Amino acid sequence: MRLVRIAATLALVLALAAPAFAQGDAACKNFVAPSPFGPTDQTGATNRVTPAVTKAAAAEIQEGKAIPMSFILKDGVPLFGTRFSKTVLTAHSLAPGGAFGENQVTYMEDTWLSQSHVGTHLDGMGHIGIRDCYYNQTQMGKFITQNYITKLGLENLKSFATRGVLVDIVRYYQSQNKLRSNAACTKPCLDKGTVISAADIQGALKMTNTTLREGDIVIIHTGWGNLFEQFPKQNAVFSSGEPGPGKEAARWLADQKVVAVGADTWGVEVLPNEDPKEAFPVHPILLTNNGIHIIENVRTDLMADEVARTGRATFFFYMSVPRAYGLTGNFVGIDGIR
Amino acid sequence: MKRVAALAICGLVAGAAVALAAPGPRYRIGFANLTDDPGTKIEATGFTGDLVRESFVLAVRELPVDLVLYDNHGDPHRAIANAETAVRDHVDLFIEYNDDPSANASVAAIMTKAGIPVLAINYPVPGAPLYTADDGEAGRIAGEALAESAVRDWDGHPLLGLIVGDWQRGAARLDARAAGVRAGLTRRLKTLRIVKIAPADLGRVASGNPGAKLLVATMSDPLALAAKQTLEAAGRAGDAVIVGQGLDPSIHGGQSDRREIDPNNRGSIVFGSVAFYLDRYGYEVLPLALAVLRGERVPARTATRHVLVTASTVWREYPPTDLQ
Repeated sequence: MRLVRIAATLALVLALAAPAFAQGDAACKNFVAPSPFGPTDQTGATNRVTPAVTKAAAAEIQEGKAIPMSFILKDGVPLFGTRFSKTVLTAHSLAPGGAFGENQVTYMEDTWLSQSHVGTHLDGMGHIGIRDCYYNQTQMGKFITQNYITKLGLENLKSFATRGVLVDIVRYYQSQNKLRSNAACTKPCLDKGTVISAADIQGALKMTNTTLREGDIVIIHTGWGNLFEQFPKQNAVFSSGEPGPGKEAARWLADQKVVAVGADTWGVEVLPNEDPKEAFPVHPILLTNNGIHIIENVRTDLMADEVARTGRATFFFYMSVPRAYGLTGNFVGIDGIR
Repeated sequence: MKRVAALAICGLVAGAAVALAAPGPRYRIGFANLTDDPGTKIEATGFTGDLVRESFVLAVRELPVDLVLYDNHGDPHRAIANAETAVRDHVDLFIEYNDDPSANASVAAIMTKAGIPVLAINYPVPGAPLYTADDGEAGRIAGEALAESAVRDWDGHPLLGLIVGDWQRGAARLDARAAGVRAGLTRRLKTLRIVKIAPADLGRVASGNPGAKLLVATMSDPLALAAKQTLEAAGRAGDAVIVGQGLDPSIHGGQSDRREIDPNNRGSIVFGSVAFYLDRYGYEVLPLALAVLRGERVPARTATRHVLVTASTVWREYPPTDLQ
């Protein structure tokens, strides 16, 4: 009898718990899609970077040539909104008498006072939501402390060691005779507000005979990053908008099951966007609803030159992301290795 | 029931998406702007004509439309010449934004002869559907907001309504706006004394009515900002609330560009502005133009949906899209 009672209780608990577990936080069901990686997932699309994917990507390393794909973070670079990034150098060891031991060892270190979404940086799953509903229907309000998020933080990431694909929209637009550049760019660039469509991305891929595959990281070269390089001279122009994929292209990229989408722009998506009443609509499509990371302010010009020279748009994507607990994103260093 | 409504909306959205995706005819639409001059404020607001033009350039991105742009330069002769050029440019439809009735009559004649349909903005063109601001409604919204504020915060205090405008500029529009403000104020405050004054008189009037709480409706946002300064200088800022008209870029900004109406500035005595959305005309007018071209029925008059925008709603109405 007792066994029957325990079994009945267990069955009841499971029956009640299972639907809630399967459906995510009920309050978020209407705003955010369930994760393609299961109801408990906090990782997102780096789940796609399997050993087989990394191994296949390693085949891209043919010359051992590393091409920098991140901008130097320095005072004066454009920062979104009220963001700041400052360093304070501790160098007292260099003062007279500050050296250690007979061998006179000295040291220096830094205090980095910075917001995480600065310079070339990764948007994590905890970065963007609809209301308080985030990736995998997570009702984020339950997981916020004064210092960090207790769910969806960067510590849940897996590796980004996968194949990178550079999509050179500048060259594609030039080939289609539809490039409308901005006078402030010293190299060809798409102008702000230019909506990059799925057809544009497909056209650019076709120029290098590249087919996206699951687990890729797509990096879009718009030329707009040239304005970042000119900092601080063109910060106002750089910040006033940007070219980028619109919603249709974002949905297509999500359908390709990529791991991340990056660009040489501060927000990756077209701004002003297609509907002035919406805010950053591509972000929730990629991050919130599909778990696909966004990488902003990627330096793309060097890789674009390399791709134009060789006709090969793929490379081994090497990016390190500090796994600090509870972060929504972080400054990253990227090299494209060929 | 909600579910049925949601499904119906989904159906409509899906239908729209299919319509957008389906290959259909591509149209050539001419738009003659009142003026492209970034230094000229238009419609007695803080908006400039270049923002109207830009809204068309942005709105057309996702539409099956090739836009041909003309600048009327605020000049009736130029407006007529532009209409003639548009005929030679073989536009399928012509959008006219010109404030001279006589020139608009000529434009109508030119286009009728050429068999080209016309859409008019803010000023009628004979026989053409009109998209227009509704100054009376915008004024009413401001007046009601001020009255509600007074009822909520200053119940029992002596009140004075002030309508502040540069009355020489765009007189007809401003008169309609002022009448709307008066109607909005008196709907709840039936015995309120209301005075229509010039900006230069505000300080004197405020100082001359030391016991009254001041409900200030300005006819534009630049005037709202100036009124705030005047009231501060007169030591009356604590006894006043202000609502502007326009919600132009002088009064709201983005993430970095903090301006008066901003989520982080909720205590301002300029507590709101009535949005005119001149910088979204393209998004409103081009769909009407496409409807005309598809032979659909278009209302003879379509008015802007004015709303009061406050520090609490400004980023919903105008999501920041830049770092400025």
